[in-house]
Amino acid sequence: MQPQRLPTGGRIDRSKPLSFRFDGRKLEGYAGDTLASALLANGVSIVGRSFKLRRPRGIVGSGAEEPNAIMQIGKGAHAQPNLRATQVELYEGLVARTTKGWPGARFDLGAINDIFGKVFSAGFYYKTFMRPKSWWHLYERFIRASAGFGRAPTETDPDHYEHRNAHCDVLIAGGGPAGLSAALAAGRAGARVILADEQDEFGGSLAGAKRNIGDAPADEWLRRTVESLAALDNVTLLPRSTVFGYYDHNFLAIAERCTDHLPEADRAGVRQRLWRVRAKQVVLAQGAFERPLAFCNNDRPGVMLASAVSQYIRRYAVRPGRRAVVFTNNDSAYETAIDLAEAGSSVVIVDSRADGAGSLGERAAKAGISVIAGHIVTDVVGRRRVRGVRVAGWSGNPSYLVESSIHIDCDLVAVSGGWSPAVHLHSHAGGRNAWDTERHCFVPGEAAQANVSAGACNGKWSLRECLREGIESGRAAASRCGFEAPEIDTPSTSEGHYNPLQPLWRVPADAEPERCPKQFLDFQNDTSVADIRLAVREGYRNVEHVKRYTALGFGTDQGKLGNIIGMAVLAECLGKSIPEVGTTTFRPAYTPVAFAVGAGESVGDLYDPVRKTAVHEWHVAAGAPMENVGQWHRPWYFPRDGEDLHAAVARECVAARQSLGIMDASTLGKIDARGRDVVEFLERIYTHNVGKMKIGRCAYGIMLGEDGMVMDDGVMARLGEQRFYLTTTTGGAANVLAWLEAWLQTEWPELEVFLTSLTDHFSTIAMVGPNSRRVLERIGCTIDLDKDSFPFMAVRDAELGGYPVQLFRVSFSGELAFEINIDSGSALEMWKTVMAAGEEFGVTPYGTETMHVLRAEKGFVIVGQDTDGSVTPVDLGMNWLLSKDKDFLGKRSLARPDCLRSDRKQLVGLLSSDNTVLPEGTQLVEAPGAPVPVPMCGHVTSSYMSACLGHPIALALVAGGRARKGETIYAALPGREPLPVTIAAPVFYDPKGERQHV
Amino acid sequence: MSRPLDRRHGLEPLLAELSGSRTADPGASVTIRNDLGHINVRGRAADAGFVQSVEQVLGQALPVKPNTVSLDQHEVFWLGPDEWLIVTPAAAAAELAGRLQKATSDTHASVNDISGGQVVLILQGAKCRDLLAKGCTLDLHPGAFAVGDCAQSGIARANVLLALVDEMPTFMIVIRRSFSDYLCRWLTHAGRDEGIAFKDS
Repeated sequence: MQPQRLPTGGRIDRSKPLSFRFDGRKLEGYAGDTLASALLANGVSIVGRSFKLRRPRGIVGSGAEEPNAIMQIGKGAHAQPNLRATQVELYEGLVARTTKGWPGARFDLGAINDIFGKVFSAGFYYKTFMRPKSWWHLYERFIRASAGFGRAPTETDPDHYEHRNAHCDVLIAGGGPAGLSAALAAGRAGARVILADEQDEFGGSLAGAKRNIGDAPADEWLRRTVESLAALDNVTLLPRSTVFGYYDHNFLAIAERCTDHLPEADRAGVRQRLWRVRAKQVVLAQGAFERPLAFCNNDRPGVMLASAVSQYIRRYAVRPGRRAVVFTNNDSAYETAIDLAEAGSSVVIVDSRADGAGSLGERAAKAGISVIAGHIVTDVVGRRRVRGVRVAGWSGNPSYLVESSIHIDCDLVAVSGGWSPAVHLHSHAGGRNAWDTERHCFVPGEAAQANVSAGACNGKWSLRECLREGIESGRAAASRCGFEAPEIDTPSTSEGHYNPLQPLWRVPADAEPERCPKQFLDFQNDTSVADIRLAVREGYRNVEHVKRYTALGFGTDQGKLGNIIGMAVLAECLGKSIPEVGTTTFRPAYTPVAFAVGAGESVGDLYDPVRKTAVHEWHVAAGAPMENVGQWHRPWYFPRDGEDLHAAVARECVAARQSLGIMDASTLGKIDARGRDVVEFLERIYTHNVGKMKIGRCAYGIMLGEDGMVMDDGVMARLGEQRFYLTTTTGGAANVLAWLEAWLQTEWPELEVFLTSLTDHFSTIAMVGPNSRRVLERIGCTIDLDKDSFPFMAVRDAELGGYPVQLFRVSFSGELAFEINIDSGSALEMWKTVMAAGEEFGVTPYGTETMHVLRAEKGFVIVGQDTDGSVTPVDLGMNWLLSKDKDFLGKRSLARPDCLRSDRKQLVGLLSSDNTVLPEGTQLVEAPGAPVPVPMCGHVTSSYMSACLGHPIALALVAGGRARKGETIYAALPGREPLPVTIAAPVFYDPKGERQHV
Repeated sequence: MSRPLDRRHGLEPLLAELSGSRTADPGASVTIRNDLGHINVRGRAADAGFVQSVEQVLGQALPVKPNTVSLDQHEVFWLGPDEWLIVTPAAAAAELAGRLQKATSDTHASVNDISGGQVVLILQGAKCRDLLAKGCTLDLHPGAFAVGDCAQSGIARANVLLALVDEMPTFMIVIRRSFSDYLCRWLTHAGRDEGIAFKDS
């Protein structure tokens, strides 16, 4: 039972009835309906409540401009909040809920706000909720709940979304008569064409239009045109696809809704797709929006755009009202009146113009429609539904006051205040808009990129002009891409003559806007004429400021309905012309886009690349939890028999110090640097004397930024007179290589140096502990490994277990240690070889946590953990690394007065008084009882339980710390008294460094 | 008693994971090539001596046109004005790198065998352009990216070297080994509507 459904007509499929739920009510519609048309067919008039005043609201439009019918669609994880019912295709089992009003939209307790409407004026939030400041979070929660809008599902989105990059010669946004003509013209010329339209079928305003194009009905022309386009291999047709953003360099984004129109059970594959399009030329053919008029109570359910009324009748066979008043200042709404009359409704046209319409006026008269010319609708009667209108005579005088009015009974008011071209994408692209003084609308000005506007979005209202501009722009775009575009005749259409629109925005009433019922401009944000006037009285002049103060155009509809009339009212208040006031900025997205389609495939495991070492699978099999280090997954620790982190790390640390530990160090950045000038180059990059390094020896090096702060560190090896091997931190690898290349390519091109990344080629296995040498020998090494033949900090090519390797005697633990560089293809085998050979010594694999403890026991810093970009090598106590014999990057910055301050934060060790492992990041203070805010004197950068020492250790940056060894400061710990801690030297274990030299 | 290097590409666990889910009629197939060696060569294209020495060793031209690959005995990719990648059978890579090193030792040049760090994926099938378009921003239309074209670009969030080696079409994707697991998982996910099959060479 659909009381408002017409018995015949429309483009719906009456053989396919669909049932759906709306706020729990079971209703029926047909295939081909939108949710909005189905609701209207069922006589539903209230679909939401307004934002602030909670007034009942009905469906106003039929497309992207709809401000009121904002719905939660679907259930559970598949639900989508805040969709416009006018753009939701009906499917079997659809579940829709209104998003505003408590307990519901039909009966809403918040409607009391309307009674106190005077309080809720522009700037209400700024004026009311600002004091006390600390209460804002309470206010915000209340306002948020009260404002409505849907809820994002809390479950993980189970659907599949994807991105798709595309390139084309001509992208056409909008598939109405102009867009289709452009696509055909460009497509037949051979250009690669993409035609995108937000609706499920192409045709735009032609769908259901009762006119002829050439010798055929419009429907027939539409069918043939779409068929011709589909037959062209070089044309991609994208229905249900909204071009929502136009960015620099002719880059456009399209959101395609692939399965949202299907019942949830029938959905398969990609739900939504983000098209990222690079177009050589763009034709914008998105049509125009009809404007409302600002009369009293113009927001009552049953007040609709005239064009929307026509759409519902023609396309969906739904009659939105039985007794209609059509209120217009231009000719186009006469078509709506004729549609209504043909649908069997009684119609009265109230035309603000004294002389009425042109040819359409004659047709309306023939259809027996009465026209009250020179009159305006001043007010609407009825609260939950239109019951009538007040109509008054008006001679166009500017006083905006009328003296007497009459009442006309009606249940529908179809309004037309004229048309505004959809200049959104033209504006996204950077183009300005120009006010057309004849047609009274903003039309696209000069295009900022390779785009043209065609048809209604260029201010062309007649079908013939739309078809002609479409063909011309399609041909021109193709020829600009180098295609020869054949001539195409514009099909003939019959066009009548039109009387000009009468500019009318705010409609006169019987009192000033402050004293009469509200004349709404923006329905989503309850912005009325009185609000704009108040903003101007309070001193606002700029349209962008007025927007922010009154919230005009701030809704999810971005003011598609109300912005232009709002700006016209502002212009009137300021005594300026509309173009002098101008528009606010049009920004992407044209209509809201789901986050999921923005994320595409980059969710879950694919959120960011996970880099894996060649030994990764062994770590996984050994049960090691992984730690993210940059994009790498590194084993964190290797638990045995249900050990937790602390137990495992304690065991691993002891094993490495007492016998043998093994670690996968493959993630270190590795760079081959060679060339005639490599020493000179590295001297400028590193702080130490690179030139003094002997071939076959390693050195620890740091590099500074130009600001003198530590940027990266690592061991480097001199492999030849003009050849070095550099290592970087795991996280810094890519940046360091780019940094070095940048200096070589832009500042020092005269230096002959080539760099090559070896990070992935070599895997690095660190063998750490007193038994490491013995196990290497057992595996079989072709070089002598004793202390004199292969001393600390030596590097040598060798064969180990038959594999060619690069062997380093370096240590990040203070123990006797070796690092093996091996071709990654053989790294897993080498790892297993070491594990087997070390079994007798209890070889213990360890992860990043143990590595951190071992190095912290030795006071070795981690760049990025113990430093934060504001730490100099002097702060770290690394003066010994700073060569006095040469210049290097950052050296001069170290002489800045600020770098010479004695109270800079310096690296120290910290010992807690009661065995507490201080949380990393803990703030350090001088005195526990100091008045708030307590001055901080430093913070903890690294902190661990040291199993080898039997007590916790920490590294910290403390103001002037190096001179304060032995002093007590306090650690501010949450939920407990400040804890006294003692400043110590940062080297806790083997301070003389004897163990690594054995 | 040196032993030959193993040629594990690191994707063995992923292939084992995927082995259960065979796609009947895949729109795209990926062959993982672990039998190839990779040599990075740097030198100046304007240095005639350098170019001549390299070409003599390779027995084929060093491409100097940006973003092209010379497909002959070896695949020689232009990576930059002073950088090339030579892909050649793995068994011969070390020896070839040694000869290149020797031939260029008296000029400004750098030769590095980086075989252990790279994985080659061969992507074929009717849907492979569609699949690549989901993650790669390049225009891969046959008119825009022809046989012999190559480019360093991205697929999803990984950097790759991509080349079209025949009109079948066959794409060659060279990726750093640490990213290869991510890329193959991405391809599996992105290609599930098209159907994708993986195999080891």
